[in-house]
Amino acid sequence: MSQHSTQHGNQCDALRAAILQALPDAQVDATGGGGHYTLVVTSEAFRGKGLVDSQRLVYGAIAHLMKGDDAPVHAIDSLRTRTP
Amino acid sequence: MALSEALRAHIRTIVDSHRVVLFMKGTRLSPQCGFSATAVAMLDALLPEYRTVDVMADPTLREGLREYSEWPTFPQLYVGGTFMGGTDILQELQSQGELARALGVEGVTVKLPALTITARAASVLREAMQDAEGLVLRFEVSSGFRYGLSFADAQPGDLVVGSEGLSVHLDPGSAHRADGTTIDYVVGSKGAGFHITNPNEPERVRALTPEQAKAKLAGANPPLLVDVRTPTEWGLARIEGARLLDAAFEHELLAMDRATPLIFQCHHGVRSQAAAEHFLGLGFREVYNLEGGIDAWSLTVDRAVPRY
Repeated sequence: MSQHSTQHGNQCDALRAAILQALPDAQVDATGGGGHYTLVVTSEAFRGKGLVDSQRLVYGAIAHLMKGDDAPVHAIDSLRTRTP
Repeated sequence: MALSEALRAHIRTIVDSHRVVLFMKGTRLSPQCGFSATAVAMLDALLPEYRTVDVMADPTLREGLREYSEWPTFPQLYVGGTFMGGTDILQELQSQGELARALGVEGVTVKLPALTITARAASVLREAMQDAEGLVLRFEVSSGFRYGLSFADAQPGDLVVGSEGLSVHLDPGSAHRADGTTIDYVVGSKGAGFHITNPNEPERVRALTPEQAKAKLAGANPPLLVDVRTPTEWGLARIEGARLLDAAFEHELLAMDRATPLIFQCHHGVRSQAAAEHFLGLGFREVYNLEGGIDAWSLTVDRAVPRY
């Protein structure tokens, strides 16, 4: 696990940037390190959407960071989606 | 990677095979990741039964599901053929008090279980109860089928069953798993204690001493002896008739009839226990672990096998 963090550094900024690209109005609270992150995302895009569809929007935006065995982001420990 | 039509159909068959299907890492009895364990614990508390599928055992299925569900992580829960989400969403629903409804079990009443307390057990319990004023007799059956018999406070939602003049409290999950159970009190040479017989207990990995394993291997319908050590260890010492669990042999095993008896063996019996549980989770019904491994075998059955 520690290898992840030394190899890839902290990915909070990368996660935030990736989410903002897909959801420009989003407020992103990303915490964590060592491949494991916690996200709280607030966006109008979630309004009227179910939990699954809301989380899919976020996962879709960060999928490239989670791909493969040696992905910089190993796991999202917790993801919360909120509307403003 | 595009999802092939065959794989898509295969996944659809699985999600339609049961009202609630959880794709998880590990099995319901031994989850291999914290998120899967949390999901199982939440479902166990509400659902008498559901299906779990171990995605660690099938990489093709695992990758296919990521695409099918458009969801990158496990566990993944399907209810009524529809994707419901992962552990996060289960927790969110639970915190909103919506989980039971989402699982379609709200308002479903759990059937009172049949529970038998023998006369001997009842008299022991009745005596103990004199010191437990204000408390009720509680019987618990965990999802891993560990038992608890205690005097505790009554809880809302408890089911209450009578036997031998005693009232037994059970939570709904325990109640379902306890149906048909007999609670006896047995006095034997090693002391006295409650003895519980429960027809709902799943198959478990059974321990074999080297002598017992030897007898089984020499008997009718001998089990396959599966050596889960490394090729290096295999080179140092091996039990006659054993086969090293390499990729080819694993492939062969996975295609076998699940009634095939298997004995797992390693150096001291720890790695093989984990392997045995894994194969039990894959549906093999008669799975043994050689206690003490090849080392114990060498000490007790066949001294010609080198120790290392």
